[in-house]
Amino acid sequence: MMTMTKIAFGCAVFAAMMCGRWCAAAEGNGRSPFESSVVTLEVTSKDYDYFQPWTKPTRSVRKHALVVGEKELVTTAQNLADQTLVRVQKRGRGRWYNAEVRWVDYHANLGVISVADDAFWTGLKAVELSGTVPRRNDYEILRWRDGNLEMRRADFSKFTVSEGSMSFAPRIQLELNTEIGGLGWAEPVLADGKVVGLTVSKGGNVCTVMPTPFMARVLEAKKAGRFPGLGFFDFVWQAGQNPATLEYLRVPGEPRGAVVIEVPKRAAEDYALKTRDVLLEVDGFPIDMEGDYEDPDYGHVMLEGLATRGHFAGDKVRMKILREGKEVEIQYELPKADFSVDLLPMFVFDKEPEYLVAGGLVFQPLHQQYLRGWGDDWRRRAPFRLVYATSEGPTKERPTVVILSQVLPDPINVGYQEVRNLVLEAVNGRTVRNLKDLQEALKSPKDGVHVIEFFRGDNLRRLLLDSGDLEASTARVLKRYGIPSASVIH
Amino acid sequence: MGPDPGVGNWGSDATGSENSMTVHRRKPRGSWSLAVLLGGVVALAWEAGAASMEKSVIQIFNFSQQPLWESPWRWQPVRREGGSGFVVKTGQGLRVMSNAHVVSWSRQVLVRRFQDPRPYQAEVDFIGHDCDLVLLRVADESFFEGIPSVEFGDLPEVRSTVVTYGYPAGGEQISYTRGVVSRIELQNYVHIGNRSLLAVQTDAAINPGNSGGPVFQEDKVVGVAFQGVPGLENAGFFIPPEVIRHFLKDVEDGTYHGFPLAGIRLVTLQNPAYRRHLGLPVSGEFGARIDSIADVATTAEVLRPDDVLLEAAGFPVASDGTIVYRENRVAAALAFQQAQHGEKLSLKIFRDRKEMTVDLPVFVYQADRSAGNQYDRPPRYYVHGGLVFTPLSQDYLRTLGRDLADAGASELVYQLFYLRQEKPERVRKEPVVLGGLLAHPVNANFSVRSRALVDKINGIRIESIDDVIRAFGEGQGEQHVIEFVSRQGFECLDRGEAAAANEEILKTYGVPNDRRL
Repeated sequence: MMTMTKIAFGCAVFAAMMCGRWCAAAEGNGRSPFESSVVTLEVTSKDYDYFQPWTKPTRSVRKHALVVGEKELVTTAQNLADQTLVRVQKRGRGRWYNAEVRWVDYHANLGVISVADDAFWTGLKAVELSGTVPRRNDYEILRWRDGNLEMRRADFSKFTVSEGSMSFAPRIQLELNTEIGGLGWAEPVLADGKVVGLTVSKGGNVCTVMPTPFMARVLEAKKAGRFPGLGFFDFVWQAGQNPATLEYLRVPGEPRGAVVIEVPKRAAEDYALKTRDVLLEVDGFPIDMEGDYEDPDYGHVMLEGLATRGHFAGDKVRMKILREGKEVEIQYELPKADFSVDLLPMFVFDKEPEYLVAGGLVFQPLHQQYLRGWGDDWRRRAPFRLVYATSEGPTKERPTVVILSQVLPDPINVGYQEVRNLVLEAVNGRTVRNLKDLQEALKSPKDGVHVIEFFRGDNLRRLLLDSGDLEASTARVLKRYGIPSASVIH
Repeated sequence: MGPDPGVGNWGSDATGSENSMTVHRRKPRGSWSLAVLLGGVVALAWEAGAASMEKSVIQIFNFSQQPLWESPWRWQPVRREGGSGFVVKTGQGLRVMSNAHVVSWSRQVLVRRFQDPRPYQAEVDFIGHDCDLVLLRVADESFFEGIPSVEFGDLPEVRSTVVTYGYPAGGEQISYTRGVVSRIELQNYVHIGNRSLLAVQTDAAINPGNSGGPVFQEDKVVGVAFQGVPGLENAGFFIPPEVIRHFLKDVEDGTYHGFPLAGIRLVTLQNPAYRRHLGLPVSGEFGARIDSIADVATTAEVLRPDDVLLEAAGFPVASDGTIVYRENRVAAALAFQQAQHGEKLSLKIFRDRKEMTVDLPVFVYQADRSAGNQYDRPPRYYVHGGLVFTPLSQDYLRTLGRDLADAGASELVYQLFYLRQEKPERVRKEPVVLGGLLAHPVNANFSVRSRALVDKINGIRIESIDDVIRAFGEGQGEQHVIEFVSRQGFECLDRGEAAAANEEILKTYGVPNDRRL
């Protein structure tokens, strides 16, 4: 049988109704002291539709924030991007106060919020962020529900090094096991009566928590005006668990170390690492055969955590490596975690979607945000070739990608109206890496036509557009399809 | 399977398998029988004057065994499948014609005459997987006694009536179904998966087991029933006389070559600016544009991008890339498929504002065989130190199921379906994957488990399984170094230990031979 049957997996959602467990630590009136430290945050933000980049749909979410200092709230950076209105409410009910996002860092996943109205701060108390995260089977998770501060228990699962919710940069996170539904909205997590973290996500029974020591370090650096952003390791390694491989690389002693297998395509000549270097120690920590190190606070975790543990972007990290059989000490400079390191940036924040409409042809920069338009399952559902580009590294010649995303029908583009999602190579003979290149190239048509060429592949390579009628056509298209402007280019 | 080709050009049907058509092989749903019975009754009455034709219809039983592509030395359980066929006269004598898919992966083929209980042994004489046709030889000449061979008619007209004869759903009695020709166009032939040829759609019930059966109009055969669309009632497809005659002519020299492929991407030329730019009348009806040329050197010598195709083999080519063939508007590719392997086609093109005539030799295109479904030749492989190496193919990819969207597998999809189009100079003749590991202490610590495309072994670039064998034989170090494409890294294998463990590994896992070439 030759058919491949698509099986739609039905997804059953179970709402687990659990009895709330009330915390013992109580104020004189039997209420939790955290009622005056945990506030509700309401964020309205633009939720762009990248398939119609000129539209500005919005959405609102409610999450939590923590009073951490003099008129200062801290929360996760999630949903703070492209915000249009931020409001806060204390004690889970009553008046909403206008607030302002003072600072946000998406890679660190932290945001600082302030409220101008002094009335808001009356009765609120700052809490201390715990400097350690003990392992407990009685963590408590706080959240406002219907005017009451709910406190429910969660169990320790593990410390892990994983990507941030809005970043590819790995950091140490705490994973809790809990059946509480709907977590991940910066609910504070308590241990021994102290805040040890904020929730960032929930999948299955696993709730991921950003630990307070990490938060405190970033916030302190930011306060001191010296937070350069998170760093990350921009090389790819594999665990040195195969004794034959270690023998080949002349690693003495027991199996250990991580083997570098890829360095960035755009790496400078003097890049500190080479493929087949074996990382033996990173920042003073020996690397084991799994690629883990023993963290004094968090136990065995992946070496990637060392890029954010005690370091920020630009710091030099000392590494002891084995190169061609010899131990060498090197200094590796941590690059800044920035979305531009990928050919298709993982996210675009706080920017209106860029696009350019020319004669009904819609051009857009390609990023993962665009691909997410195909839904959560975009890696399966979006056009394969575009998804595959997420695994292609940027090069000097090709740092970013522009696509012809769709064609809005108009007489000028008859014959091309089925074309969509093609990667642009050149226009009028000029290479196009971004919309500015394209805008520039469209200024020099030849012989009355614009020549638009796409990357070589299993697709259309070339189309021509009448240059004489282009301006009038664009005007027609904007009017007919209700597009406010022919382009948004940053 | 894998990425949805429904949206966007980069995700076109290169992966082939999303096609919803199916070759009729399996037992159908329970509800077919009534329809077939009724159709049969009607057809009998209608065809009363042509009762002798059913004598030409043959019932076929195929006992087949398909390989497991991820464990290439193993086979799936034997399956018994039924199909239909009919007797044709060829230069070499009488043969049974049927579908290639009816007899694929065959261990034994049995044929039976109309209302004759005796099974006869049959063998494949010629098989065309691209056009899903086969000619079977029956050693016992007495099989053909009293059976008239059929005559072929012309392409039936749309709306005309046809009757299919066959043995659907494994029934013991012949079945007749009647229907009208609904439309005629190029269709993906799902047996091979990555070729489209002319096909006729009819509403005559064509069910599993009908495959290979003749489609009659009056007393002539106008098609071979071959595929349907699951879930789509009242639509069956048959192979038209054009394709059948091409196949029969092809095998006259004793070898089947297949349908040629010119390797051009022909696109519509309807944009006024583009037409004007090339010097064609803006509102002209004719002329489609050659947008690009695949890695077919002989075509690249004759044609170039932006040539406008005006006529192909005498057929005027319209601006939407179609020709009119016997009153049907079909893709111009049909004109190219009329030629045999190695023949020349006369093309009228428009280049540099001048009309000119060129002769284009066309050949069968084999380079993308592994991107389609493969048959009859079990997968090549080589096992060393428990590492199973096998060629990357569509058949192998299918074993990955839903995992195909994983990052590692997407590299395989790219290599198999896209690299040839994008960077033909980097394409390997026979890309090799590490298909799996047969667990043994020599390989137990590999972190690369499988599905990794092999780049180099001991410094030698791997272009085929033969290179793998050669590379393991070469090199001096104490370790074999196996490098993988993309981010899959590399692994080492202790040379001495692997050599010593080979025999034990093969024995433990029941691998009869360390290689199949």
